[in-house]
Amino acid sequence: MFCVSYSSIVEVKNMKIKVAKIKKWILSLQRPSWLLLGVTMVALAGCGDKQPKPDKAAVAAGQVLAEKGRGAIPGCVACHGAHGEGLDAAGYPRLAGLNAGYIEKQLQDLAREQPATGVVIEQVAKDYSKTPRVYSDLTVFSPGLRHDNIMSPIAKQLSAKDIHNLAAYFASLPYTAKPVAADFQVLERGQDLALRGKAEYGLPACVSCHAPDGEGFGSDFPPLAGQPAAYIVSQINKWQQGQRDNDNLGLMRAVADQLTDADKLNVAAYYANRSLTVKGQ
Amino acid sequence: MKTFFVLCMLGLSNLALAVDTALPQTEVRVDNYDARVSIPTELKREKAIRQIPAISPGEYFVPPEVGDIPTSKYGEMVKLGRNIFVDTQHYAKRYVGNGLNCSNCHLQEGRKAYAGPLWAAYPMYPEFRNKTRDVVTFEERVQDCFRFSMNGIAPTLDSPEIKAITSYAHWLSTGAPFNKELPGRGFARLGKPRDPTPINGEKLYKESCASCHGKEGKGQKFTHRDGYMFPPLWGKDSFNRGAGMSTVKGCAQFTKANMPLGKGWTLTDMEAWDICTYIWLQDRPWDPRFGWFMNIFAAPTGGN
Repeated sequence: MFCVSYSSIVEVKNMKIKVAKIKKWILSLQRPSWLLLGVTMVALAGCGDKQPKPDKAAVAAGQVLAEKGRGAIPGCVACHGAHGEGLDAAGYPRLAGLNAGYIEKQLQDLAREQPATGVVIEQVAKDYSKTPRVYSDLTVFSPGLRHDNIMSPIAKQLSAKDIHNLAAYFASLPYTAKPVAADFQVLERGQDLALRGKAEYGLPACVSCHAPDGEGFGSDFPPLAGQPAAYIVSQINKWQQGQRDNDNLGLMRAVADQLTDADKLNVAAYYANRSLTVKGQ
Repeated sequence: MKTFFVLCMLGLSNLALAVDTALPQTEVRVDNYDARVSIPTELKREKAIRQIPAISPGEYFVPPEVGDIPTSKYGEMVKLGRNIFVDTQHYAKRYVGNGLNCSNCHLQEGRKAYAGPLWAAYPMYPEFRNKTRDVVTFEERVQDCFRFSMNGIAPTLDSPEIKAITSYAHWLSTGAPFNKELPGRGFARLGKPRDPTPINGEKLYKESCASCHGKEGKGQKFTHRDGYMFPPLWGKDSFNRGAGMSTVKGCAQFTKANMPLGKGWTLTDMEAWDICTYIWLQDRPWDPRFGWFMNIFAAPTGGN
């Protein structure tokens, strides 16, 4: 009896000491933690208001190069428009408001030398250590190739710094699309392909990667809305003819291979008909 | 006698092997992939039919076009159902507890074969379901989608949401044979040459899934609007542990036929198993059927 009561008293005492210790610890923890919380909240509030800063020097340098060119490099504005809006009639793409990473990658790929004939290009660099497959000696992993008679020679003269500057400049430009009218049946068919694809052929919808309004997503999926119809058709043709293969995971090649001529025209007309406003990064 | 017995055993094992190998693997190289070549034509069994890639338009039921939705009260309900199906985050927000839409798994507005097409599912109900050990109606099945795959709260059977989705499924299966298992129903059937390994799966995930679903598997959100561009595969905005897609098998069957998007059937069966084993190891919302236990420790999920 005595033992029990004594031990219980000791326990209570110990508990009291423990509680006091915990209280002290909590108090010691609280003050700096509140401070920390306040600091982080202020920092977060600051972050929320501001977008990540664009590199102003790069944008300025890019603007100079884009407007005036340098040496044998012609100014970009000659073909791509004074504000990067592109040229509908000739099918020159708009650059304003595109993702900087996308522009950078395209210029790098345009500048790349074409491989020797007979080389098999594997689009997806895979780690085959666990899943062995047979490859010929001539198989190389494509870093992404894009060929264009006009653009490739120009891109080859640009330095890495130039490419970065140009990408920063064109990504910073705002853009508002001017919808191009088209036949309503063409638009309907284009819309069907854009929103639903062709399920019975295993062909996915455009919107599933190029975003719901065709505004593009990230550096891998460029915008379709606000691009000249002729440009979209010519690029799909290039995929089908093997002149372009710089797409993420070879996704676009798989899509382009299944598009008929009518599909290309319909979907290009549909996206040229969309309205779109881009703020610029 | 003994030799005869051994011979018999050998014969039997050979037979068993022959039965196993009757379902050929559609294992192909990515660059040489030609769906038309790899279609197994001699297969007659119901299971084998499901291995045919979704590429030949004649092989599958083709649902009606959206432009053909009738202008009537019924048509309005179908349109509402389509809206809920494509933009669940907006049209059925109160029942959804994560960042997904129906059409994230039922691809191309519930039309694509081997991606749980509605036109193949709807005519099969009521059906015995192993998960609940009971016969369920289509409406009850949709309720379970909300509970598990959408990690939310099931709308009541008389709710407009269930009515609209049922109408949409009903309209999509216009002209489909009733109570007949159509090719392309559900997901692909896979062989399993060896036990799957998440080590290989992680590599495969990073090279062929991560560019869209993110290295962390949390999907990618829009910067200029609400919602996800690419759906999360795990994390709090994904389906919960009770969903069919959270099992390795369900995930692998979906992945084989549909992923990477537009390049279905290019991963080998084993690659699909490996990737899904890796995904299965990740953290996701708990199974609501075990709520009595988990409620003590975890915050309740679902139903905003």
